[in-house]
Amino acid sequence: MEQFLQQLINGLAVGGIYALIALGYTMVYGVLKLINFAHGDLFTYGGYLGLTLLTSLALQGRVGTAAAVALLVLMVMGLVGVMGVVLERAAYRPLRESPRLSAVVSALGASIFLQNALMLLYGARVQVYPEGLLPQVAVSLFGLQVPLLRILVVLASVVMMAALYLFVQKTKIGTAVRAAAIDQGAARLMGIDVNKVVSLVFLIGPALGGVAGLLVGLYYGQVNFTMGWIYGMKAFTAAILGGIGNIPGAMVGGLLLGVIEALGAAYLSIAWKDAIAFCVLILILIVRPTGLLGERVAEKV
Amino acid sequence: MNRAMGLALALGLLASGSAGAADTIKIGLMAPMTGSWASEGQEMKRNIDLLAEQANAKGGLDGKKIEVIIEDDGGDPRTASLAAQRLTTKGVVAVIGTYGSAVTEATQNIYDEAGITQVANGSTAVRLTEKGLKHFFRTCPRDDEQGKVGAAAIQKMGAKRIALLHDSSAYAKGLADEINAILKANKQNVVFFDALTPKEQDYSAILTKLKAATPDVVFFTGYYPEAGLLLKQKKQMGWNVPFMGGDAINNPDLVKIAGKDAAAGFQFLSPPVPKDLDTPEAKAYLASYKKKYGEEPGSIYGVLAGDGFTAVTKAIAATKSTDADKIRDYLVNKLKDFPGLTGKLAFNAKGDRVGELYRVYKVDKNGEFVLQPK
Repeated sequence: MEQFLQQLINGLAVGGIYALIALGYTMVYGVLKLINFAHGDLFTYGGYLGLTLLTSLALQGRVGTAAAVALLVLMVMGLVGVMGVVLERAAYRPLRESPRLSAVVSALGASIFLQNALMLLYGARVQVYPEGLLPQVAVSLFGLQVPLLRILVVLASVVMMAALYLFVQKTKIGTAVRAAAIDQGAARLMGIDVNKVVSLVFLIGPALGGVAGLLVGLYYGQVNFTMGWIYGMKAFTAAILGGIGNIPGAMVGGLLLGVIEALGAAYLSIAWKDAIAFCVLILILIVRPTGLLGERVAEKV
Repeated sequence: MNRAMGLALALGLLASGSAGAADTIKIGLMAPMTGSWASEGQEMKRNIDLLAEQANAKGGLDGKKIEVIIEDDGGDPRTASLAAQRLTTKGVVAVIGTYGSAVTEATQNIYDEAGITQVANGSTAVRLTEKGLKHFFRTCPRDDEQGKVGAAAIQKMGAKRIALLHDSSAYAKGLADEINAILKANKQNVVFFDALTPKEQDYSAILTKLKAATPDVVFFTGYYPEAGLLLKQKKQMGWNVPFMGGDAINNPDLVKIAGKDAAAGFQFLSPPVPKDLDTPEAKAYLASYKKKYGEEPGSIYGVLAGDGFTAVTKAIAATKSTDADKIRDYLVNKLKDFPGLTGKLAFNAKGDRVGELYRVYKVDKNGEFVLQPK
């Protein structure tokens, strides 16, 4: 029982990160029907930019921990968001009228470009965050070890998901985003600047991915230039699991995937952890092709 | 008729092309310059560049300059087979590399069929030299030798319950199997045997499961990035079990990833790094490396690539030939106790390096790797 609960906590903490990255996938897919394969690499840039800002601005020790983290989050969100907008302009917008496959290939190309650029800029070695910025305190609850940072990671993802959900559902710009997601042509006729909406989506999605990269760097203390691939795959799976295009779905999918992996590792085999997670994905897609929270959209005839 | 003439012309051009290139001796380096082992590949390049520079400054090889031709294998078997094919068309007489066992395996037959000597530097999987390929050598020891040293180190600790963890790579799985077989044969209690997925950041699920098996020691046979994270997260969990590791952990980045506190006390097996060798050759090399790059070589595999280079160039110089059969004959039958950068160099008929290389290292509280007495 103790091991079960501990694994549940482990899984939720990893799942929180998956969820945060999955939000970016799901937003872009919702509006453009494009899987942004470069999203995982934008996540990696978040981790690297966070490290560079932390060391070059000498934040550590000069301002308090809370202020340093808040500043880092804001700056990383801004920078990675801008990267996302530039990426869309350079790699996706010129292909918007082309067959969808062209944009997917372009996304894969952008991913390889971003990854190699990072390697050339920072070198191939693992980059390490300075120690001791965040206190590594663990709460002991009924014999379970719950590091405070893990709670922070899950909380941060829930807060950001909620804010994003409210933004899309309750604001005027959010309505424009939803309109563009349903039918870009009709939205344009209604006076919505679809290009601006797409830019906005490519600002918010990557910004969230960047924060996830920063959290990974802060918590695990280590970033490497290839880490975007595996996190990207997992987050992509989480988005599909929850119902791609659906914001709460990304959250549910991320947390669920984290828990499935942790329990799969604990009770079946560690080596088969990923295989188990992907088998669950396939099963769910057979039973519910739209994902857990996705709705079946009736095509108008 | 036209086609035949064109073919003849092309062949003629090719022949004159290769004749014109004969004023240098080309040595290939196949290394992971990109991908997740890129840091290893870049160190391999540093060592080979330095040695080629030194050799050329002394007048080259057999009166000709040495030209190093690099191909990136990306640490990936598919990329590597393409890299090997490109190298075979570039007139290299021998190839140094590469690092990973599975990557080397994808290229062995390509070089063998082309009659090119290959000297791997980090590929320790047993089967690579059991295939009977004539022109394949390696400067690193094999997993079965490391398995013996690993099992002995575990027994020396007096551990009763032993956990073995690998990462499913050809190297790590092979080493874990070797150790497991020896421990089982000695009636030792292996309570855990499983694999993690490399390149992830979070190993808390695995550590929780490991902890539930209550081992006295955990032997992880994978690579340093994962080892560093395991040590760090083990400490965060508040679990104090000794960890040991194999030779793929010999990289100073281990301490950076884990943090000095978490890395202290960790033990691993490795061929000795140059700074622990007291031969004049090793000392002189270390000084020249530091002069050129401003730091000591961090990775043993880069230095082992250098040993491959010295062995091959020595064979070419001694036989005054670049013929792969003559190089083989020299390396197997004539090269004895040659002072390499990592100790004495010699090869057996399988192409394996002769002699015991492995030592036990321990990380001290300052994060330094300290050679343990034998």
